[in-house]
Order: sequence, then structure tokens, then C-alpha cells
Amino acid sequence: MVYFLQEYFFNCFTRSASIILLSLSLLLPQLSNAAIPQKHEDFPQGVSAINPGSELWREVRQRDSAVTGISQVKGVETGVLINSRGGQWARFRIENPVKYAPMVLGVVFLVLVLFYVLRGKVGIEGGLSGQMVKRFTEYECIVHWTLAIVFLFLAVTGLILLVGRPLLIPLFGKEIFSLIASASKEGHNLFGPIFLVSLLMMLFSFVKRNIYEKGDLAWLLKGGGFIGDGHVSGGFFNMGEKTWYWIVILIGLVISISGLVLVSPNFGQGRLVMEISHLVHVFGAIILTAISIGHMYMGSIGTEGSLEGMKSGYVDINWVEAHHDRWAKECHENEMVISAEEYARLQGSKPDTAMEKEA
Amino acid sequence: MASMKFYCDAERCIECNACVTACKNEHDIPWGVNRRRVVTIKDGEQGERSLSVACMHCADAPCAAVCPVDCFYTTGDGIVLHDKDICIGCGYCFYACPFGAPQFPESSAFSSRGKMDKCTFCAGGPEDDHSSEEYKKYGRNRVSEGKLPLCAEMCATKALLAGDADVLSDIYRKRVINRGASAFEWGVNQLKG
Repeated sequence: MVYFLQEYFFNCFTRSASIILLSLSLLLPQLSNAAIPQKHEDFPQGVSAINPGSELWREVRQRDSAVTGISQVKGVETGVLINSRGGQWARFRIENPVKYAPMVLGVVFLVLVLFYVLRGKVGIEGGLSGQMVKRFTEYECIVHWTLAIVFLFLAVTGLILLVGRPLLIPLFGKEIFSLIASASKEGHNLFGPIFLVSLLMMLFSFVKRNIYEKGDLAWLLKGGGFIGDGHVSGGFFNMGEKTWYWIVILIGLVISISGLVLVSPNFGQGRLVMEISHLVHVFGAIILTAISIGHMYMGSIGTEGSLEGMKSGYVDINWVEAHHDRWAKECHENEMVISAEEYARLQGSKPDTAMEKEA
Repeated sequence: MASMKFYCDAERCIECNACVTACKNEHDIPWGVNRRRVVTIKDGEQGERSLSVACMHCADAPCAAVCPVDCFYTTGDGIVLHDKDICIGCGYCFYACPFGAPQFPESSAFSSRGKMDKCTFCAGGPEDDHSSEEYKKYGRNRVSEGKLPLCAEMCATKALLAGDADVLSDIYRKRVINRGASAFEWGVNQLKG
């Protein structure tokens, strides 16, 4: 992302530099002409008939030293006569995110398909025991799924707005796509702030367990279990989960803040602020979406026993031994492991207690 | 085929804002939307200049390129128009336009701006010519009556010109030649003291 922004600003710079060079080359012949009549007694200093306005127009046209005027029409940047950055932003958007977002997401998807075909589901040694440990409270599960659903909705609607023109208009035609895009835009704008709220809930409810600790470096050195054989050591959250958590929080906050800037044009922010916010927003969103596809894979068909943890809040003790051995010790010490019968009773009794409450 | 353009002569514009008013009146434009505006640079200083700007009907329009729903089209006369039935009011055209031409009737939270509105070169929109639908969405269609945009037609100093690009550049070239001669004379007189 930094690279793209650098390129964007570099383009701004080279363009203005080329304009200065162009204007210099236009001035040179006039300077040499001005030298000729010096011999003439009447015109000791020469006469150069440069348009008095040319200096002014050059300043107006150059974007880095934009001369701002005034206008009786009040509004956002109504005093700016020419804003050439906008065209650059538009070109950059079409040539980079619009073009590469489907490719990046497609490549991530294909890599995961390939990984699944080659390695298959990552199982648990000795299979599932049936003995369960409570990993997440109901509140934590609700926070996770709220964030997940809002995120998926925003990712889909955002992608429709980003790549709908080249990919969906040929399928549906402009009229029908306009309806889809309009609904996507309104939905995206309404659900965006909800994403920030659920992101903050995620931040507060999981932050304590996601602070990096001593054993995490060993996890990283073993490549999270993908490199070599044998178990990798992990606590309640392993190093990969912690990193994913911090990616969600940090990129999520960046997307949320830039999104809030974009969603509230009523504060009269200028076009440059909007353009930068848009680029930050779109690159952050593509990165987060690409990684989230990996998370969805590992949380569902990629690893045996993971989805159960977020569905009921309980995980199998053998799954804990395999992926979170340090936390497994704690579970045994604190006698948190419950039998299969106890788990079935707890799961089965839920509807009963709900009915009792209603009664 | 003609290529319709606006040209505003900075040496003639006197910042009377009559073009702005005429445009608002002719097309019955809502409060807060200004299809045309006059920008004054170096107001009150030496070298003050004013220019009337609206949509310049670019040959390669950035708004049309960036529009996520592709609602812009260029007429046979080179006029850039848009379809308000397709526009979703995202505001990207406003960020992309060099001249700040696209306008939005609202600007409130949740990015609700309403459908974009801009100068049509008095050429209406995709609806039937002179239909009430067309008038409601895009304003008067003068081009179909063989008339040029009202802002330029009524400009008191003939600073704002509208019409075929070739004709406009001919007019402007003549003005520049005349001015060049007088500027030269002015320069000579200055040196003579």
C-alpha cells in the first residue's frame, strides 16, 4: 500500500516537474529573441511581449503551488480553478485497485484450493475425544459472528462498487447493475459504522489474550506447523491467531477511519483528503479481504475441530493438545475439561432453560 | 461533426456572475446546486482575473472514466451528458473532475448526496427532447432548438463563448492577435517613458 501511495505522489511530482520543463522550453526562444534588439539605441533593454497573464495561468495549472481564488458560489473548493490531481486519482484507481483486486483475491482462492488438494484437512492426532473445554463465552461468539457477517457484507458490496463496471455491467447491463450498485452503496454506507462498533467490541473482548508472549517466537520459527513435522507450541491463542487478530484490529481501524471520512461529505473536506482516504480504504480492504479468505479456510474446512469452537464455544481437548499445548496444561490443572455426556447435556439443556425462562 | 466547447476569455470576464444566474434560472436548478461558477484569482491585487467555469465537456472525460456505474455518454456534438436514472450519487466524478463541475443536491451523513447534476451544455439528457421528464432532471434543451447555451448567449462582454471548437478558436485567435499588437505598443510606450 505504501508503495502504491509513493507511486501516486511520485507521479504528482514528475508531472509538475515536466510542466515546469515545458514552460521553460517555451520561454527560451523568447529570451534569445529579447537579446537581439539590444544593439538598437531605442530599445536598450529589449522588448519581450510575454502575455502578462501567462505567469498567472502557469501557477493556476500547477498543482503543487495551486493558486486559490474566490467565488460567489460557496461550497467545497469552489475557489480552485483547476484540480489536476483528480484525474490522476481516477487513472490510478482504474489502473491499480480495479485491475488487480480481482486478481489478488482470485490468486488467494486458487492457492487455498491447491493447498486443500495437496495437503487436505489438517486433522488431529488420535481423532476427537469427545471431551470438551469451554474456549469462548457466548458473548465472544456473538462478537465474532457480528464482525464476520458485517465484514462479509461490506466486502461483497465494496467489491461490487470497485469492480462491478468491468465485470458485472457486461453480465447484467447498466440499468440492472445501477440498482445493484445503488443498493450496495447505501448498504455499505449504513453498515460501515456498525463494522467499527463490532471491531471495537472485538478489540476489548479479546485484547488481553492476544498480547504476544515468550513462546510465540518459537511458533513463528517453525512456520506455524506448516514447515517440518511435530507440534508447534501455543497458548490460548497461538502466534498466528494473535497476528490475525492484530491485522484485523489495525487494518480494520484504518479502513473504518478512512471510511468515516468518505461517508461524511457534510464536513466539507477537500477532494485530496477524499482521494487519499479512498485509496487507503480500498487497499486496506483488499489486503484484509485476501487474508480473511485464508482465515475462513482455516476456520472451516482447513482444520478439523476449529469451527466447533466458534459455533458452541467449546473445543475438543485433543484439538487443544494439538494446537494450544500450553493452554491444554492450564485446562487440565484447572479441571476445565468436561466429559462428552456433560457436554451433550449442556448443549441439549439450552433449549429447555430458554423455555423455562419464557414460561 | 462538431465538437462543442466553452471558452472563457479572462481578459474580458468582469465577474458579473450573470452566467451563473442565467443558468440557474433557465434550468430551474435547486438551491445549493451551481452548474456554473465564476472564480476570481488574485482578487483585489494587481493582475486580477476572473473566469467562468462549468463542465468543459472534455474529449477524454475523467468523470466518465471513473464512474463506477458508467452513466456518462458523449453526444455526436461532443457534449458530455449523464443518465440520472443510472447515477448512484457516489461522488467519484466530483473528485476526478479538474473543474469541480459535478454538483450534488444534498450532502449529509452516510454519504447521501442525491443524483449528480452538472452542466448539460443546454442539451438536456437521454429522455425525449422537450419532455417534462427531461426538463425536471436536466433542465431546458436549447441545443435541440438550434440554440447555444444561455450563459454564453447572454454574456455581456462576450467573455464566455460556446460553440464549435474550430469557430471558437478562430474568434479567440483574432482577439489574441489584436491584443498582441496593443501589448507591443504598450511595451514600446513604457520603454520610451
